[in-house]
Amino acid sequence: MLACVVRRILATIPVVLLVALFVFSLLYLAPGDPAAIIAGDQATPADVERIRASLGLDRPFVVRFFDWFWHVLSGDLGVSIFTNLPVTHMIAQRIEPTVSLMCLTLILSLSCAIPMGVIAAWKHGTWIDRLVMMTAVFGYSTPVFVVGYLLAYVFALYLDWLPVQGFTSITAGLAPFLRNLILPATALGLVYMALIARITRATMLDVLSQDYVRTAKAKGVGQRGILFVHALKNAAVPIVTIVGIGFAALIGGAVVTESVFAIPGLGRLTVDAILRRDYPVIQGVVLMFSFVYVLVNLGVDLLYTVFDPRIRY
Amino acid sequence: MDRRDFMKTAAVAAVGLAAPRIARAADSKVLRFIPQANLANLDPIWTTQYVVRNGALLIWDMLYGVNDKLEPQPQMVEGHEASADFKTWTFKLRAGLKFHDGEPVRAKDAIASIKRWMARDATMGLVIQKRMDALEAIDDLTFRFKLNQPYPKMLFALGKSSTPSLFVMPERIAATDPFKQISEYIGSGPMRFKKDEWVPGAKAIFEKFADYVPRSEKASWLSGGKRINFDRIEWNIVPDGATAAAALQNGEVDWWETPLPDLVPLLKKSAGIAVDIADPLGNIGSFRVNHLHPPFNNVLARRAIQIALSQEDYMGAVVGSDETLWKAVPGFFTPGTPLYTENGGDRLKGPRNYDLAKKMLAEAGYKGEPISLLVATDVAITKAQGDVTADLLKRIGMNVKYEALDWGTVGQRRAKKEPPSEGGWNIFHTWHAGADCVNPAPYIALDASGPTAWFGWPKSDAVQEKIAAWYAAPDLAAEKTVIADLNKAAMDDVVYIPTGFFKGYQAWRTNVSGVVKAPFPVFWDVSKT
Repeated sequence: MLACVVRRILATIPVVLLVALFVFSLLYLAPGDPAAIIAGDQATPADVERIRASLGLDRPFVVRFFDWFWHVLSGDLGVSIFTNLPVTHMIAQRIEPTVSLMCLTLILSLSCAIPMGVIAAWKHGTWIDRLVMMTAVFGYSTPVFVVGYLLAYVFALYLDWLPVQGFTSITAGLAPFLRNLILPATALGLVYMALIARITRATMLDVLSQDYVRTAKAKGVGQRGILFVHALKNAAVPIVTIVGIGFAALIGGAVVTESVFAIPGLGRLTVDAILRRDYPVIQGVVLMFSFVYVLVNLGVDLLYTVFDPRIRY
Repeated sequence: MDRRDFMKTAAVAAVGLAAPRIARAADSKVLRFIPQANLANLDPIWTTQYVVRNGALLIWDMLYGVNDKLEPQPQMVEGHEASADFKTWTFKLRAGLKFHDGEPVRAKDAIASIKRWMARDATMGLVIQKRMDALEAIDDLTFRFKLNQPYPKMLFALGKSSTPSLFVMPERIAATDPFKQISEYIGSGPMRFKKDEWVPGAKAIFEKFADYVPRSEKASWLSGGKRINFDRIEWNIVPDGATAAAALQNGEVDWWETPLPDLVPLLKKSAGIAVDIADPLGNIGSFRVNHLHPPFNNVLARRAIQIALSQEDYMGAVVGSDETLWKAVPGFFTPGTPLYTENGGDRLKGPRNYDLAKKMLAEAGYKGEPISLLVATDVAITKAQGDVTADLLKRIGMNVKYEALDWGTVGQRRAKKEPPSEGGWNIFHTWHAGADCVNPAPYIALDASGPTAWFGWPKSDAVQEKIAAWYAAPDLAAEKTVIADLNKAAMDDVVYIPTGFFKGYQAWRTNVSGVVKAPFPVFWDVSKT
């Protein structure tokens, strides 16, 4: 097992390197000029040229790539063209809001979606099943920003319970932390919840028709025990898989959610960097996200062995 | 914990979370402000972005500052002496000024700052630099310019609010290459920048500088006593307009610099919110053509656009149905300012004539070649203008190639001098702040020097002669005469085509008082209850 983990971690290195090359090439080919944005509308064309040269953006692709890559190998993601701050510092500043948002979204989604899916499967064909599926369809087909605005209108403007925007660190206390994060996590979690609820229901329907479930019933095991101990554990592999795959959707959704709720997270950092063509920041954030995504998939693979001991690596 | 305990705990937590009006800007010593854009850096010389200038106004002080009549008033200086021929200018700094690091402000700091600014200010700084024989410190507080040609508009140059403005930095910081970014934000202005709390793209914090010595005069725009009534001013970057409006309605922020026109009616109806014009000098929309390539290298084609263009259409698209927000400007200078003139602007007045425009285009040799129209679709004002232009060009028989881009790409493309078929362009839109269009000095878009002019590279000897004549004009009457001729020359040669004059709103909570109309947010004398 340990050898497998080490092998998989080593395997992430070429993946991340390929992502690095791909992102760098894409940015090189993409139109746009950070020097023009820095110079502003009042600058002359000559000023723009000089700024471009001072940033080293007039150097050939290969020189720029290897210069950047060499620094990345030594753990230096470079310095933002615009803020003059190290990219690692900027990522560190933004990581807490994004991780908090994702964790809370995961907690909310899983704690709602799995019981919903289990109950829908248990009450298959009834109005409860249909209600759960309707909710899932609504959640999956409603854009995050629409849900976000609706929640903000109802809970912030109309009911006056929660703030519209911003982020408070958990170090300031759990209540203020949750006050700021509950709406965005709900908005972001709705899609995720719908996805997991549907998969849970489908998998549970399959599992509940298995012989061992009938045997458990015959032995007098209670309904709760059958659903949440015997059936759910065996249905967990596809659910964990979809949780892992959905993580990418969560990253994409975080970009929108952070903009709607003005959360200073990595999603907004990415959007701002793309709009400004802040190349070192874009490259740094994409590298980090790709690394995290690979790690999440590794985690998912390892979880398979927990839920299904027959799986060996 | 059993199920009942869990439910009780959850209920208590929910009530705690739902405590109403918890995140209010209740502290009267903290002002929460939403700026017009993200504050991605704070070097007001390296970049000419207005949002950076606005932040810099808190951190750094200026030698002179314009008042609400656009007259330069002494700010860091105690006074000046100018020789009768305007070739020697001597300035004395006020005693007792300090930088945020505790160091006194000296003449050498002013000199280094002037030199860095001169290298980047194309319209005034570089002119002074070319005429300068010496810029020297007489003593710790006094410095002197020695010029080889007269420069009567020195005070305006040193105090102009258009970017780049001249901010005084410590000598060691001002010694930075003007094309490289500074990394220390130490000024002598009324607020100090909290770099440790800065999250670019999210928040920027300014803290009151206790040792700031305001002037005794009443504040007026960038002049007079800059008295700050807050311990902290927090800039919250809220990228989404609807969220910003909701945050203002909910009392989470106190002041929003640039509400979206679409949201203004909502804000006007909201209790506890005041809405008013932000900048009395407004903005002038710009239809910028490329003078290097056909068809717009022919003045007839440029004039054809003047004949057909309806400023009403453009302004309707930019600011909506609120007619108090815009007016037609058959001129290049800011309406309501002393030099405003409509001389030569007749082609922009009266009914629009598409047939005549088509005829003029034919005479100019236009035969249906694609017209590359660069539209920054991520900026509402340029998107609106671009859409109207696409329609206009079709009406006058042009083959429009609408290129939907983001502003970053337009910024790159517009710098290309190649023909449109090789990645160049024919038309792009932008707008100019009215404060930059009050006279030719800050008006980079009116420069018609050809290869060194602003994007589009217009060339007109008549325009350049008039601009030079304005610099030499001895008084306002002479300036007005010259500007009338300049306006006509620029209209005749069609340096660019104004699409109208428009203003924007600002909005704030009614517990905030002292908000003034200005081309930049003025934080001094603002207070909050």
